[in-house]
Amino acid sequence: MGIERPPFEDMYREYLGRVYAYVRAQVGSSADAEDVTAQVFMNAYQAYERFETRHATPAAWLFRIARNATLDHFRAQGRRDRLQRTIEREPQAEDDPAGRAEERIQYRALLARVAELPERQRDAISLRHSGLSFDEVGTLLGCSEDAAKMLYHRALKALRETVQKESV
Amino acid sequence: MSENGQELELEALERQLDDAFETTRPRAGFEDELWLRMQSSRPAPRRLRDAFAGLWNGVRAVPAVPAAATALVLIVAVGVGVFTLGGLGHPGGAGSGAAGRLSAPNAGQSFAESFGKVPTPVFNGGPKPTTPQQTTAPATGDFPGPVRLQWTGTFTLNTTTAPVYRYHEPSAADSDQFASALGAVLRGRPDGFLGMYSAADYTLKVRGTIASAQSSPAYFILSGPNLPASDTAGGPQAAADVFLAQHSLVPQWPYTVAVDTTSDPVKVVYERQFQVIGYGPAYLLNSNGDHYGIEVDLSANRVVLASGMLPVNFDIANYNLVSSADAINAALATSSTAASPAVPLVQLNHAEMVYVLVPAGDHSFYEPAYLFTGTLQSGGQSYTKRVLIPAIDPTQRS
Repeated sequence: MGIERPPFEDMYREYLGRVYAYVRAQVGSSADAEDVTAQVFMNAYQAYERFETRHATPAAWLFRIARNATLDHFRAQGRRDRLQRTIEREPQAEDDPAGRAEERIQYRALLARVAELPERQRDAISLRHSGLSFDEVGTLLGCSEDAAKMLYHRALKALRETVQKESV
Repeated sequence: MSENGQELELEALERQLDDAFETTRPRAGFEDELWLRMQSSRPAPRRLRDAFAGLWNGVRAVPAVPAAATALVLIVAVGVGVFTLGGLGHPGGAGSGAAGRLSAPNAGQSFAESFGKVPTPVFNGGPKPTTPQQTTAPATGDFPGPVRLQWTGTFTLNTTTAPVYRYHEPSAADSDQFASALGAVLRGRPDGFLGMYSAADYTLKVRGTIASAQSSPAYFILSGPNLPASDTAGGPQAAADVFLAQHSLVPQWPYTVAVDTTSDPVKVVYERQFQVIGYGPAYLLNSNGDHYGIEVDLSANRVVLASGMLPVNFDIANYNLVSSADAINAALATSSTAASPAVPLVQLNHAEMVYVLVPAGDHSFYEPAYLFTGTLQSGGQSYTKRVLIPAIDPTQRS
């Protein structure tokens, strides 16, 4: 027996920021993150009447849509194109105070490192830190809760190595 | 490193990730924009049903932004005549019962007791011709020569004070902040501009007040080849509305909308108004005597230019007004003293309160003024005669 489906407005309000952060950690540019996040909620809005809470929590349902939208984004753009576009959009450090200010945001670099991880590791970290339980992460990634935990810890170690290399 | 040390490192990394994800949020305005997009993507009956459901559930603590957006959509859906009165956001006409709307300052505004004596507006000899849709039919422009003036209208003021708005001249940092909120990146600071910026599909330029031209601080968005064509099925105003919403530039002030389809590009102008308690909305006039605020130009279904007033924070103070009788006398005092019948007689028959920019260095002002208008025929042509009179009591002006 599932819980009552919350009003979409409430869910939108509660999850917009978290979904955006999840997407942002995947795509690496705020412009793309906005596009994908918009697509996530447009899709969710259209499908909300079919959402049944007995099959998934609202978070798991929404992040499934977010994950699919992100994958669609990668498929549509191609990683190389996306990277190129990201570079073109990124400000040149020497002539862009806004960009420099953005770089000063403490965790920007860390999310960029997350975006460079292999897809499943990136997903495991992003979903987990977007507030999903390991059970939900496992469901979304098509594995058991224990497997999701292992995947997450492998991802965490890989991220730590990347960060350590950067700081050397 | 010991296993324990590694675990501590991983825990620290997890805390950083928690913080990173919790502090990564979309820009301000994105939530509202997206909600409106979602609402507008649905069939009208469903929007109405949800809106009414929202009304019945009014006591439930619903999110402010979506609720406000729902209300807006409801107004759009059922507000027959709203568009014809002009404007999505804050339509209204003179005397529309606006008293009380300024009971608290809007965002970016603060009340002050007084700014001391404020500078007297200079009208450069009077406003120039208005655009065709703003003039009454046959008038073709302002009459250039001397005229004799006669007042035949009715002008009653139900207020003795009106607010004066003061803003601090925007800096390059203010400009950068505005551009950053739009997602545009600084490319340089060309002469005459606070900054030039680029985004994926447009170039943005921002400039401050131009005292000589009495022009407000403004932004200019020049579309690039990547800017997608607008959906003009709903007409040019709907396309302009969508463009402004997509760029978080929907006016946050009262306005009406004028659409000029007589030329290419089609111009959609969001004409700014200032609310005056006891009077109603008063249009802002530029140095040409035109209403202004934000203009979106569309050509071949594409937005080619969007320009508008750069958002600035206001300090507000109420000032005493010249009475309507004194204002009429002041207007008539600009009449030619020549008794020659060759000097045409103009019957001024309309008066309204307007606002004008008064540049004054670091701080500039939007001050109330009275605009008197009448028409005359000369040489087979129809002309408009307009007279602008400062509205603030002379003892409070420098």
